[in-house]
Amino acid sequence: MIARENPFAVQRVLAIRYRLAGISWDELLDRLTALRSRAALVGPHGHGKTTLLEDLGARLAGRGFRVRSVTLHEGDRRLAAPQRRELFKDLAASDFLLLDGAEQLGRLAWLEVRTRARSAGGLVITSHRSGLLPTLHECRTTPELLAGIVSELLGKEAAVEELFARHEGNVRGALRELYDSYAAHPNPHPLAPSPDPSLPPSPGEGEGFVKESFPLASPANFSSSPGVGGREGSGEEAGR
Amino acid sequence: MSWIRIETHGGANAFLPGESITGSVYWELDPPVTEIELRLIWYTEGKGDQDSQIVDTARFNNPEPAEGRGFTVRVPQGPFSFSGKLISLLWALEAVAQPNDRAERLPITVSPTRREILLQSQTAE
Repeated sequence: MIARENPFAVQRVLAIRYRLAGISWDELLDRLTALRSRAALVGPHGHGKTTLLEDLGARLAGRGFRVRSVTLHEGDRRLAAPQRRELFKDLAASDFLLLDGAEQLGRLAWLEVRTRARSAGGLVITSHRSGLLPTLHECRTTPELLAGIVSELLGKEAAVEELFARHEGNVRGALRELYDSYAAHPNPHPLAPSPDPSLPPSPGEGEGFVKESFPLASPANFSSSPGVGGREGSGEEAGR
Repeated sequence: MSWIRIETHGGANAFLPGESITGSVYWELDPPVTEIELRLIWYTEGKGDQDSQIVDTARFNNPEPAEGRGFTVRVPQGPFSFSGKLISLLWALEAVAQPNDRAERLPITVSPTRREILLQSQTAE
């Protein structure tokens, strides 16, 4: 399957935004205010932190803040010059800083961010671990969440429990595997109805995960699950 | 109801590198907008981050609430429209109204054969 037809192309995945569970956006923003606008979104790779941070930034911009965002990549122990300018140049109380992947920074670089951010209206980071700033929200994933996203992308229900377990809740990793599976599989795509089992297998049958781990399933209730878009990219950076 | 429509001359949707594209943009917009821009763009879709570029534009200042205006944009020498398993490069004409960013997109193909190029590994399937 060519890229533009792949239902798991990054552009389609990114169109699915974060789905808060157990808390409304107003409550989340109130919680952020209660934390003096210095807080962290915490969770493992592929759990939607970046997507939630982007959505939070849009809402902060809607409240009149000038949002200044920087994304750190694997191994970025300090801010690069352009990133420093983006975050700190002419910093004012009307600015809100968003730092994706703050756990990458070295100790001194992180201390500098915290110190200089005092001039800003707020600072929200994402991190794989808690402790850098008070936790605003812990990003979680469930099989039902993944099933909901897959269903939305495919336009049909699918069982993804094994896929979810294999990726240990990393929804982006699971969606990337689905992309590869669809890319590798000739038409008809892997979710086409299974052939009659009494017939001999056709060439290539049994390859990939779909036949083993992606059977069609009954509808799952995922309406209240937290959603994960997740920015695709290279290496571990994509895990935020 | 607000709408924007892009039409190319003769309904053409595939073009050669270096060719000019002529057509018209029609709209009916409520509330009225201050500017409409017709853009010739390419963008990628697939497994990785998206790349995109605006390669030519035609701007319509002070548009009436309901109107149509002609445009001409020029296709560069490349890149060509192509698809593989990991990435597709797609071309489009896009009309964007300001200040509300209402947009309409018309997919087109750019290549020496006027057809999307399918990469070898794909065509071998």
